[in-house]
Amino acid sequence: MNLYLRLALFLGIIIYSIILLRLLSNKRLNLKYTLLWILLGIIMFILVLFPDILKLFKIIGIIEPINGLFSVIFFCILMILMSITAIVSKLNEKNKTLIQTVGILEKRIRELEIKIDSSNSSGE
Amino acid sequence: MKILIIIPAYNEEKNIKNVVEDLKINYPQYDYLIINDCSKDNTKIICEKNKYNYISLPINLGIGGGVQTGYKYAFLNGYDVAIQMDGDGQHDAIFLNNLITPILNGQADMVIGSRFINKEGFQSSIIRRVGINFLSSIIYSIFKIKIFDVTSGFRAVNKRMIEIYAYDYAQDYPEPEAIVVGAINNAKILEVPVIMHERKNGISSISTLKSIYYICKVSLSIVIHRFYLKGGRIMIE
Repeated sequence: MNLYLRLALFLGIIIYSIILLRLLSNKRLNLKYTLLWILLGIIMFILVLFPDILKLFKIIGIIEPINGLFSVIFFCILMILMSITAIVSKLNEKNKTLIQTVGILEKRIRELEIKIDSSNSSGE
Repeated sequence: MKILIIIPAYNEEKNIKNVVEDLKINYPQYDYLIINDCSKDNTKIICEKNKYNYISLPINLGIGGGVQTGYKYAFLNGYDVAIQMDGDGQHDAIFLNNLITPILNGQADMVIGSRFINKEGFQSSIIRRVGINFLSSIIYSIFKIKIFDVTSGFRAVNKRMIEIYAYDYAQDYPEPEAIVVGAINNAKILEVPVIMHERKNGISSISTLKSIYYICKVSLSIVIHRFYLKGGRIMIE
């Protein structure tokens, strides 16, 4: 890989890491859901540091190492998106249960209030 | 025997009163429960003013989430039979006994009120019927249960199915999927003829574009459920 290209990629990864760490320390991101992003950063870093690994892609017909890098990143992003869909689905399910429970409890409170009111007025 | 009629209502200020008053006068032996799915109109105020038995959801969940709230309530309060009946006046309370009787006799776990057995009353548009037939034949080819009106939201279930639905009920367009969940749990499903009316006021919740999504989503879900069945996964433990 061209030296300038490697430097540019390196700079990109530095910016990526700074933004990621910034968001993490500001508590804007939850570490639990950020692990995959950190992993992606590490993978990119290793590949730029040792671009010879990318030459292995020649076996499956990817001749330019940079295309191998793109393939790896693309795959990682797909994984991250899928995990996000899984997280959203789970949140949706929890949210639904919560809303239903609030609805049922609100009805119970309403009925209890009426009961208390009527027993108070009959007690007087 | 405790029997609960679940009435999902979203923006039904014009219809809900007729539906509930009819139940209160003609079927006082059954409990009813309105699920106000965060309506934008005065549905909640009408329920409050008339002292109806209702649950008001703080956020709109869609028909599936709303009806499931009713099943959860039925489960928590130990009901033996739960009936779903739309709040828009499409379903006629005259048929309630036809739906409940097979369950009380132990002939079925789930009874579906069908427009298409005697082909009487409101039959829905041709395009919609084609879609319903398609879903019906998918369900038949996978589960070998022939149900004609798979999208009918006028149905009754017994105690076992109440518990299953309290845990597992699809969130949007849930009717065909509920049949599939029943089939997986070896429910005896029966269809009885009913006559449905065209909705009197307001607009139906399903537009043309949405019905394409409906067909795709439900077909896919049926096929996925089939995998559950093959893997021996049980939906409720």
